[in-house]
Amino acid sequence: MMLVKELNAALGRLLTDDPRVVLMGEDIADPYGGAFKVTRGLSSVAPERVLTTPVSEGAIVGMAAGLAMSGYRPIVEIMFADFLSLTFDQVMNHITKYPAMYDGKVTCPVIIRSPSGGHRGYGPTHSQSPEKHFLGLPGLTVVAASPYHDPHATLRSLLLRDDPVLLVEHKLLYAEALTTAVGGRIGAALAREESSAGRLPSVLMSWVPPEDCSVTVVAYGYSALIAARVLEQLAMEEEVFGELVVPAEIAPLDTSPISASLRRTRSLIAIEEGTEGWSWGSEIAQRMSVEAFGQLRRPIDVLASASSIIPSSREREREVLVTQSDMRQRIRAAAG
Amino acid sequence: MTPVSVPWTDVNSEVAVVSAWHVPDRSMVRGGEALVDVETSKALLEVEAEVDGFVLQLVPAGGEVSVGEPVALLFDDEASMVAHLESRAKEADVPRETREGVADESRATAKARARAHELGIDLASVTAAGLITVRDVEAAAGSSPSATAPSEPGSPLPGDAATQRLLLIGAGLGATQVADILAETPGQTAIGIIDDDPAFWGRDVRGIPVIGGSEQIATLWERSAMDAVVVTISTSVTARSRFRELCGAAGIPLANVIDLRAKVASGVRMGLGNVICAFVQLGTECQIGDNNFFSAYNSFEHHNVLGSDISTGPGCMTSGEVHIGDRVRLGMAVMVEPKITIGADSVVASGSVIVRSVPPSHAVKTKVITTVVVPMRDPGSGS
Repeated sequence: MMLVKELNAALGRLLTDDPRVVLMGEDIADPYGGAFKVTRGLSSVAPERVLTTPVSEGAIVGMAAGLAMSGYRPIVEIMFADFLSLTFDQVMNHITKYPAMYDGKVTCPVIIRSPSGGHRGYGPTHSQSPEKHFLGLPGLTVVAASPYHDPHATLRSLLLRDDPVLLVEHKLLYAEALTTAVGGRIGAALAREESSAGRLPSVLMSWVPPEDCSVTVVAYGYSALIAARVLEQLAMEEEVFGELVVPAEIAPLDTSPISASLRRTRSLIAIEEGTEGWSWGSEIAQRMSVEAFGQLRRPIDVLASASSIIPSSREREREVLVTQSDMRQRIRAAAG
Repeated sequence: MTPVSVPWTDVNSEVAVVSAWHVPDRSMVRGGEALVDVETSKALLEVEAEVDGFVLQLVPAGGEVSVGEPVALLFDDEASMVAHLESRAKEADVPRETREGVADESRATAKARARAHELGIDLASVTAAGLITVRDVEAAAGSSPSATAPSEPGSPLPGDAATQRLLLIGAGLGATQVADILAETPGQTAIGIIDDDPAFWGRDVRGIPVIGGSEQIATLWERSAMDAVVVTISTSVTARSRFRELCGAAGIPLANVIDLRAKVASGVRMGLGNVICAFVQLGTECQIGDNNFFSAYNSFEHHNVLGSDISTGPGCMTSGEVHIGDRVRLGMAVMVEPKITIGADSVVASGSVIVRSVPPSHAVKTKVITTVVVPMRDPGSGS
């Protein structure tokens, strides 16, 4: 089933199963059902707990913070991840700080969901992957939807925790089918989940047994989907074999699945759609070079989008964002 | 056939709902006439037929269609619409097994498919945990009797019992060099060549038959069909060392093959399995290990100490008291200053002049002297 429908079904089940769950966001109720139709139909499942709000992201997240401290489990939709900047004060100065500022007497488990990413010609302010600005905020968990993680399982385990969460959903993933590992496989790839205790699982995929791979590729969200396609092509066409590690929880990062793969391949490339520098990939490169120093065959590579605005023209947008051919070239080099 | 697509009108809509068809399914529509109404999250749109044609509706009223995808197909005439419908029905009828058979083929890499074709291996018989790779195909070839069918290995020559009967390893160009040396060496004869690439089986190199893969070495030794082995591979020191170890473990001796025109000075001590081509000089009191391949016009000056499994290109020259470690590869025309040590497993680029020692497992690169090739001036316009 398409990821948008999986997410919709997952949110519907949470509303039914857990009376504390409240969905909030701009235009999320029917008939519009949200800009990407993730919440379509849900306002008839629980009309009193699916709230269409005024156009004020700071106010929505502020209200969610109050609900969360009163025992509710608000799940907020921010229509485009580009608008997350308007929630930043609530996240940085309030939601993530309340538990400590009130000496552990409250928790503030707000979940913010938001469609991110480009490749649709939506221009500079509707195409970004701005999650890098939220990585490393003390107390915040950042999660990325992927075609390989069941959103229902992800949301359910997030509801079992008390951390505030930012969940980014690349908008091109909505129309992709959810393909979780079945019988040790995803399509032609060998696949399995690995995780440390209490963390969301990472999915590891390879087209030959992992010990025969010569590069570890770490990517999340839509980049992971494209990286998987590139790795399959490289395997089929050139017998260049890589192992793909797809974390769900991108910050704080569970590095153990990456380390385990890196010990086998001794070469690593991190791929992200966000802008280059001061990024998820550069954090991984730093931590892994400390951990694997002396065992690496070559320097760790980071592939990210150009440090630029994202043009509206589809052609010019392609020059800025990480593309499939960029990935192919850099993964091939990293496997050498 | 012309597809009619739902236009992309606003960035927020991924899908549209078909609200009404203006033209019944499988009937005629004129270009410019309203064909169908679709509703996106922002607008109700009327979609027109761009050309005349027979309409094949792809989505019923009330159904959803992705923006940009076709909602109908227009055909020039009824016959072409019927043909389209028939071919679509046939596609749906293809039995499951056939489709899975196609899937099997696509489970193998391009290189594996090519190799399987070369070796006459049926991919359906190859098993692999992930995609089928060249290695899997070759492993299957090794265990499958049908694999040897395209080229039957030959049998070894009887050889002359009065000479040392040699089994050569590697049927590539190195074998032609060794065969040339042996043709002029009275005390040695080659009885056969071993190569793990079945493409060579059944062929011969200068009249020496290629008689199979490396599993034959022990058999021939047990049958006393040969007295010693020579590794002719000059391109891979890893392969040289692997075959030396394999023979060592089986107790099979290696033999030196030395061109008559090589100069071996006094006091030289040499192991076994060395291939020494024409015009090589081994200077006074050099010590040489086992299983090296020295190309033509190499000169190792006095008191060099050379390890094992080394491979050199033509024209390399060392001064006195140079040490070269195991498995070193020298390109062509490498010059080495006196008392230099080149550590084991290092690689030296052609044309390098080595003026200081090289630690083990290092690569020596050198400035590339570019040769510019230009077309000659037109002789007619010159004067």
